[in-house]
Formats: sequence, C-alpha cells, structure tokens
Amino acid sequence: MSRGKKQAKQKITWKEVKRQKVLLIWSALFVIYGFIFYYLPLGGWIMAFQNYKPKDGLFHSKWIGLDKFKFLFSDAAFIRVIRNTLAMGTINLVTSFIMAIVFAILLNEVKNVLGKKLVQTISYLPHFLSWIIVTGILHDALSSTGIVNELLQKFGIISSQINFFAHESYFWPIVAFSNLWKETGWNAIIYLAAITAIDPSLYEAASIDGAGRWAKIRYITLPGIKPTIMILLLMNVGNVLNAGFEVQYILGNGLVQKVSQTIDIYVLNWGISQNDYSLGTAAGIFKSAVSIVLILLANRMAKRSGEESLF
Amino acid sequence: MKKKSLADQIFVICNTIFMVAFVVITLYPVLNTLAISFNDGIDTVRGGIYLIPRKFTWQNYYTVLHKQNMITGAYITVLRTVVGTFLALAANALLAFIVSRKRFLFKSQLSLFWVITMYVNGGLIPTFLLYKNLHLTGTFWVYVIPGTVSAFNMLVLRTYMVGLPDSLEESAQLDGAGYMTIFVKIISPLCKPVYATVALFVAVGQWNSWFDAMLYNRMSDKYTTLQYELMKLLSSVMQQSGSADSARNSANSITPASIRAAATIATMLPIVCLYPFLQRYFVTGLTIGGVKE
Amino acid sequence: MKSKKLTALLLTVAMTASMLAGCGGDNAGGGAETSNAPESEGGGSNETASSGDDGNKDIIDFTMFIAMPGSEINDGNEIQEIIAEKTGVRVKETWLTGQTAAEAVGTIIAGGEYPDFIDGGDGQMALYDAGALVPWDDYLEKHPKLKEMYSDEEWDRFRQDDGKIYWANIFQNTYGEDKSTTHNDEAFWIQNKVLAWDNYPEIKTLDQYFDLLERYAEANPTMEDGTEVIPYTALCEDWRYFCIENAGQFLAGYPNDGSVIVNTDTMKIEDYNTSETTYRYFKKLNEEYNKGIVDKEFATQTYDEYIAKLSTGRVLGMCDQWWDFYATVNDVFKQQGLDLKGCNYVPLGLTIDEGMENMWHTYGDTQNLANGVAVTTSCKDPDAAFQFLEDCLDQEIHDLRFWGVEGVDYMVDDEGLYYRTEEQRMQWANKEYQASHRCVYSYMPQYLGTSRDGKNSMNPDQQTSEFFSALAQPLVDCFEAYGVSTYVEMIGSVNKETGPWFPMYSFSSNMTTETPGGVAWTKMGEVKHEWLPKVVMSNSFDSTWSEYMTAYEGCKPEDFLSEMQTELDRRVSLAQ
Repeated sequence: MSRGKKQAKQKITWKEVKRQKVLLIWSALFVIYGFIFYYLPLGGWIMAFQNYKPKDGLFHSKWIGLDKFKFLFSDAAFIRVIRNTLAMGTINLVTSFIMAIVFAILLNEVKNVLGKKLVQTISYLPHFLSWIIVTGILHDALSSTGIVNELLQKFGIISSQINFFAHESYFWPIVAFSNLWKETGWNAIIYLAAITAIDPSLYEAASIDGAGRWAKIRYITLPGIKPTIMILLLMNVGNVLNAGFEVQYILGNGLVQKVSQTIDIYVLNWGISQNDYSLGTAAGIFKSAVSIVLILLANRMAKRSGEESLF
Repeated sequence: MKKKSLADQIFVICNTIFMVAFVVITLYPVLNTLAISFNDGIDTVRGGIYLIPRKFTWQNYYTVLHKQNMITGAYITVLRTVVGTFLALAANALLAFIVSRKRFLFKSQLSLFWVITMYVNGGLIPTFLLYKNLHLTGTFWVYVIPGTVSAFNMLVLRTYMVGLPDSLEESAQLDGAGYMTIFVKIISPLCKPVYATVALFVAVGQWNSWFDAMLYNRMSDKYTTLQYELMKLLSSVMQQSGSADSARNSANSITPASIRAAATIATMLPIVCLYPFLQRYFVTGLTIGGVKE
Repeated sequence: MKSKKLTALLLTVAMTASMLAGCGGDNAGGGAETSNAPESEGGGSNETASSGDDGNKDIIDFTMFIAMPGSEINDGNEIQEIIAEKTGVRVKETWLTGQTAAEAVGTIIAGGEYPDFIDGGDGQMALYDAGALVPWDDYLEKHPKLKEMYSDEEWDRFRQDDGKIYWANIFQNTYGEDKSTTHNDEAFWIQNKVLAWDNYPEIKTLDQYFDLLERYAEANPTMEDGTEVIPYTALCEDWRYFCIENAGQFLAGYPNDGSVIVNTDTMKIEDYNTSETTYRYFKKLNEEYNKGIVDKEFATQTYDEYIAKLSTGRVLGMCDQWWDFYATVNDVFKQQGLDLKGCNYVPLGLTIDEGMENMWHTYGDTQNLANGVAVTTSCKDPDAAFQFLEDCLDQEIHDLRFWGVEGVDYMVDDEGLYYRTEEQRMQWANKEYQASHRCVYSYMPQYLGTSRDGKNSMNPDQQTSEFFSALAQPLVDCFEAYGVSTYVEMIGSVNKETGPWFPMYSFSSNMTTETPGGVAWTKMGEVKHEWLPKVVMSNSFDSTWSEYMTAYEGCKPEDFLSEMQTELDRRVSLAQ
C-alpha cells in the first residue's frame, strides 16, 4: 500500500513548474479562496486579547492582554471541563470509529443485495433526527420505569431500579452510546465507499486459495480500507476537544454536572450568557492550538511508520 | 457451488443476527418519531407513544406544510442543495486531484494549509463582518460560496484518488493528455463511489442548514430556507406552550414535540427517496465499474 | 458520463422536494382561511408583491426584530392590513431563533444595520451602548397616549446614564382597574381533588401541605386507572430550577425579589439561600423524599418529562410558576376529562410558620426596566414610528390586536361586554388562524387592566366572563368552598405595595462576570444546581447541608450581596 511513500522530496525546478503549470494555477486559486474564507476571519482572534464590546467593534475595544486566558486557566472548573471534554472526546472517537468500521465490514459481508441496501438505508436514518429527539427517547428508555430498567430487573441483573442519570459514572457511557446510536450508520458510509474500491479479483483469488470469511476480511478488506481508516483517524484525533455540546447539555443535570460539562458548555455559561465574546474566543484559540498540536504529532507518527498521512 | 465451511455458516448466522439487532435499534427512534408525528400533540404530551399513534391526526403535517414561506424555503433549499453540491463536488475533487498528484511540488504544504482550516474558527462576528464586506450577506450566494471547499471532503476524495494506480496517469500523459483531461476523463469516472459519498455529505449538509439563513438573511424572507422556516415554527410553538401569552381556552393541539416530529419526517423524506440513487454507488458500486486496468 | 448521472440524481432531489412543497401549496389553496395569495414559482418576491398589490402608497413598511422567540404572522395578515389602513404603518416582525438574545444583538450591531424597531431582550444595553437607539424624550411630549403609559416617576426609571429615555417596557402595565384573575407566578400547587378529599381544609404552612399530601397518598395510592400517584415533584432542569430553588424567600413571607430578600425594616439585603427558613424547607423536602413522598426522579427529569407527569394527573402537588406549566397541562386535562375529576391545580400561599402574611402574589405592576421596544437610528421615518407606537395604544387598535374583529372574533352583548363564542375561542387559538388573521404586535405598547370603555378588559385573558367560562366544575366547587372566586383570591396574598426597588432580580439577572458580584452569582448558581438535589436526596441531611454550605461559601456570596446592597441603596435613593 505504501508504495512510493518514502519517495524523496520533489525538487522545485523551472521545468517541473512549467510542467505543472495548470496544477499550480489552480492551487493558487484555492489558496486565495482558503485564505479569504478560513484564515481572514481569524483576525477575530484578537478579540481574545480585548474586552470586546459590540459598540467598540474589533478595532476600538480595550486591550486586556492575556486576562481571559488567565481567567480560564486559573479556574478549577475550566480544568475540569477540559478533562470532561477530553474524556468524552476520546471515548466517542474510539467507540464510534470502531463501530463504524465493524459495521461497514460486516455489512459488506451480507451477500443479499436487497438486505444489504435495506440495512444500510435504515442504519443512517437516525442521523436525520435531532439530538433533542434522540436524547428524549434515550431518557425515556433509561428512566426508572423505562425498558432498560425493566429488562435488567426481569433478568435479575439488578434488584432495584437504577436512576441512570443521577450517577456520574454512567454519564460518559450514555453519551458514547447516544453518539453510536445516531451516527454509526452515517459514519460507515465512507468505509463502504472505500470497500467498493477494492479489486474484486483479490477476493476471487483468495476464494480459490480456500480463504474463509475472516481471512478475507483480515487480508483483503481491512488492508484495502486502511488508508481511509488512517486519514479519518488522524482527522478525528484533532477533534477530541470537540466532544460536543448538545448531547451533554440536554442529558446533563445538576447531579452530574461535574462530569457532564464540556468546554462548549463552559463557554456558554461563562462567556455567551454573560455577553462576553472574548472568553469564548480565548477558549476557541486554546482548542485550536491543542487540535493542531495533536494533528502535527499524530501526522508525524503516521509518517514515521510509513502510513497514510494528512500532509 | 462449493459447500460453505462450518465457520462460514456460523459467521453468516451471527452476522444476520447482528444486522437484525442493529436494524431494530436504529429503526426504533425513526418509527417513534413517525408515530409521534401522526399523533395528536396534546395527547403526545402524556407520553407512552412508541410505535403506533394513539390518537391519529394529520394536524401536525398540516401545520408544518402551512407555514408561510414554505414554498420559498423549499425552492431556496433545493437550489442551494443542487448548486452547493455541484460546486462543492467540483471544487473539492479538483483540489483533491491536485494534492493527490505524486509529482505535485507543494502537495504537503497545500494539504497542511487545508488541514488547519478544520481546526480553526474565527468566530461568529468576524465571519459575519467578512461576509458583509464581501457583499455576500443578503444574497443567495452566502449559502454556497463560503463552504464550498472543505478539508474533510477534500481529504476523503484525496484518499480515494491516491489509491488509484499511478499507471493511469502515466499512460495518459504518454498519450499527451494534460492534467485537466486526466482529471475529467480518467480519474473522475473511477471515483464514482467516493463522489457519491461526498455529494451525499454536502447535499445533506445543505439540505439541513438553517443557521446561515437566520444569520445572514435575517430580516428578509427572500432567501429563507426550509429548515429555517421549520426552526421558526418550532421556536414559536415552544414559546407559546410555555408562556402566559398563549390562549387560555386553547383548542390548539400543537405542541413542540409533535411539530418537531412532523418537521423531521417531512424533511427526511426527500433525502430518503433520493438515497437509492446514490446508494448504488457505494453499496454495490464495484460490480458496475470496478477499478481495473 | 458521470456528470450526466449526477445531474439526473440531483434533479431528482429537486423534484422530490418540489413535490413536497407542492403538496403544501395545494393544501394551502384548499384551506379556508389562508389569505396569502399563491406565490409564483419564482418565490422570494413577497415584499414587492404584497406592497405592490394593495396599491396604497401611504402605508409605510417597518421592520422589527424582537430578541425573544415568537410567532411569525403571514404577509397579508387580515388584522395587520386593517391596522395598516387605519394607522398607515405595517410592521414586519422577526423573532429570535436558535441564538441567545445577546448573540443576535451582537451580530446586528457588528453589521451596523438595524431594523426600524427593536426589542433587544438581554442585549438591549448593548444597543444603547452602540448608539443604535433614538431617544424618546422629544417624541413623548408630542404623543400623549404614549406618555400616559407611565407616570413621570416611572418614566424617569427608564432613563439611561445620559439622562434620556430610549425604550419602554410594554408588559405588566395596567390601565384602570386591575382585572387579573390568575396567579401567574410561583406557588405551591395542589390538585383540587386532594383538597376536596379532606373537605377543603385550611392549608397555611409547608408542614400542613405535606401532611395532607401524605395522608391523601396513603389513602389513594393509585389513580382510577391504576397509575401510582406521585405526591410531590420538583423540577430542577437548567434555568427552570427556580421550582426548587427559591421557595425559601416566599415561605419567609417575602415577595419575589428573585435573587435576594429585601428586609424592609433594616433596608438590608439578605440571602435566603442560607436562611433558617430555607434550611427548614429543604430539611422538610429531604424528610419527605426519604418517606417516598417526593418523586424519586425529581432531580433528573427533563422539562418534557415533568410536563408529561403532570399531564397524567399523577402528580398531586409541586412548586412552580403558573406560566411554566398551565397551558399544556390544562389542555391535556381538558382533553382527557381529568379536569372534571379534579386534577386542576390551585395555588396555596404557604409560609413556614402559621400566622404569617404571604406575598406569593404581587399586586400591581412590576416595571421591568431592562428592555422594551425601541426605535433605531436606522429607522427610515422616526416620526411615523413614534406615531405608530402612539397608535398602538389607541383603544380601537388595541382591541383589534387583542380581541380581534368584532362579530368575527368576539361578540358584544347588550351591556356592551365582549365575549367569545366557543367556536370563536377555538378559532382564535388555532395556529393557522393566528398566522393569517391575528396580529397582536405583542412587543408593541399595550395595556392590561380595564378598557377605556370602563367595562371590558384590555386583554381577553382577563375578561371575567372568559375566565369563568373556562373553569371546570370541581374548580368552581373548590373556589366556592374557600369563599373565593379567582386564583388570586385563592392564594390570599397580602396586598402590600412593593417598594420602588422591586424586583431586585432585574438587577441580578443582568449581572455579568465583569464584576466580582457577577462571578459569585454565576458560581452560586452552579453550586446550587449541584447541591440542592443532593441535599434533598441525602441520607444524613445535616452533614450534606453543611457540605453544601461550605461549597456555597466558596463562591463568595458576600461579593454578590454587597453589589445587590449598592443597587438597592441606589434604587431607594432614586425614588426619594
């Protein structure tokens, strides 16, 4: 798979530039576009160093240096929400990642075309439900008279009802489950597309050699989608601090707020609802910095081990 | 026909059970939403609706479809979905093509440039000011221009393109084909599954978006979108059911949960109808046009 | 090749969608009351179409943004057109959707273009700071009806630090005699059947209240259909946790200053969170929780679940504000016939000890200074804008807004009293009818109380006949048994005038983390969210309470209290 990966870096020569003229012109256009729409608004980051007031705008608000960052990092609550965000981000990353791949591969093993299409169609539907609907159903199922308690009691696993939302230890798994529930089918689409790119003759050849299902999955399907897996893994590593807002906000309550609040919820409470735009910007810069560092590290590791890398 | 091994048979059975369980679990919330969408709103408040409406009504759909500006909203939404998907697919594919060329001089730098965009965000107000200065606010283009190139979609496309054999490009170049010809004639036809995937992502994103309509076209109905109209409806129902302002002798069976359910199903339906056309590319795509040569 | 297929596929999206939209259009055409003309395929040209059609050049179209969620009305709305004809002004309202008020206002300020009218909600101050608002002072002199809304003293309270008035709050403003029949605010509520079961006893204290709930639940552990009753529940979700949080101030006999108690003897701010009354209130809740009287899931229920529970009629009592639950719950009761079984809630004016006066109900108006309708500097024609604010208070226009069209939406009896027939009542509440016919302009100047004709109510919600026609028999019996006729009389609060500082929450709710008091206030909120349920659910109340108090003191409530004291002093001195 990694053929040509270790290739020496291309020398920039006039001849090569001329040869790639079209590519270079287009990339210049893309860079201009990207600069305008993604990098230019970053000028707004100066808000983090100001006491931003709408009336003064970006150019006349008072400078306060690193005050907002100091505020964040001297607050024990902020350190705690970083922990929560990291924990939920990591749990979600790992579980949703594995589930999507497993689901895609197993679905690919369904040989009945109609059945395959049907399962696939159904699996992605929850993606279209809003979080409020999904969490509402989940809340219902996990209530003291809900189906989960009923089943657990019927099978004698527990003796009395559990109030799942009253205990801190259940919160992260519940969030992870709701993510899986809503997005597994949707996330699997990319892997399904990647599987279609695998040369069918490989499977035929393997069958002739007497390879079973597991062997084919292990030696053909998995390696076939490995680049996709790597790329998505790398991208998601940068997203661990984006563990979300809505699920935690809706499912959380006073009893579990120590583990349920994420950075985004913190920013809502301490920034947005206080008309403080600067604090949210400061937290955003922190998140971006962490993401980029993580991405650089992960990418370097991937490159070193000769795997697919982001850049 | 070869006889299946025992292990294979066990695998098939387990896999079938897994798939059935998966379908049951994922279908439930959808069916539940469907049931609620057809159930009387006031009756729904009591809870206990699972798969079958208890007090059947069309009222929720009637209310949703009667919202003013639904036609404008649907028109704009379809337009932005079509235009946005075309633009995004073309742009991301071209960019992915460029950075997936092995000989391209700046492939690492250009990729990094785009990867970073996934993790930085200037915030609401600076972005608003930018669009305003570009005269995008108050126009249709604010829906399709800003998000056209997205690093995520580009990287998905790139990964697929990198997996294609190098020999394709080399032999075409020997025949004197330029990069654009290679992109359009050689690479793109092989990328159908991943094009379908990205088209789906972009289309669904466009179809569901409303925040931009609210933010950039706040005071005018001209460029409203379907989902924005539904959001407005929902927020007005929520406000009404929880305020002293609402009619005391209410004969109104509209509640947030029922409107939300009907709106969800109503907007989901077109996507579900469209889906089989895309699905064939990534569920059974291979047999139609495999990566050969 | 591939692009053709893609085109085909995208066209299919388009077609499916337009089919969907098509259905909507057809229905709209078939429906009886829709007044908006069928739109052309081109869509998006409402504005020109509607203003072109009426051919009346004198009508000015204004825009208004209200930083609150609300209901849009259709273009061509019937009453809106009538008002436009009479006043020459049509206002298109846009409401807050999916954002906080401050965010929305922040973006509007950044953009620098304002609608003609605005009510910025929590973001009102930012609008003033940004110089976006037109001062009212000169216009007030020209518009007597507008000026009549408030007394000079009351107007003065709206003055900003530059000494000018930029907005007026339009709610809770009574004209003439107060007509209110409902207690819109907080109370301990109880199903009237529970009172009936015990022959309508006098329930004056928290202990008596829970004693009755206990006895009733013991005698009637299930409802007729076998559902277990929940004697008491308390909502703790998010901002609605006031349902558990602030009963302490009322039980001690104080009115709803919200965040603090104002001791009128010493003119000092007191903290009810740490008061003896609050301690006893939570101790009681804890005791009842451990007895199984308080809902086991009270701490984790969502608002929807809470409303669902109340709607089944299982919940005998709770502490809440009327507006937070009555609309939906009463609708379900009516639909299910539970109102006839005595499930409707009536308010009790409880205090911690016997023989105290209660102040759960506040008589008279509460002047909210924080926000209200304003005219912006972008307004095309401020003269016309202020004239419209004036016209909104004209009785004829006011009646059109709140009562509707005579003969269509309400009838007038021989004595000149307005009433609605059952049919009109249903129609008035219908969502589609509201959009196509009703035009309340609900954030424009308005009155409660008595109409200028001296007979009717400004707002139909307060019309006595409308109120009684909606009461179920068990409620009538209950009111009769206690010798009262309205919810207000039922709660029996003492009619004492509130001080000029009231309510103090109008200050605390606008605090931000820029001051130490604001930081403390936010922290106190977080601590209370976590600890109040814990305290109620505790196995050993006193030790949990002291843990809570330790956490609470860690928030530095004294910073908050001292800023509240400063504000109280300021408000008192201003009134003198």
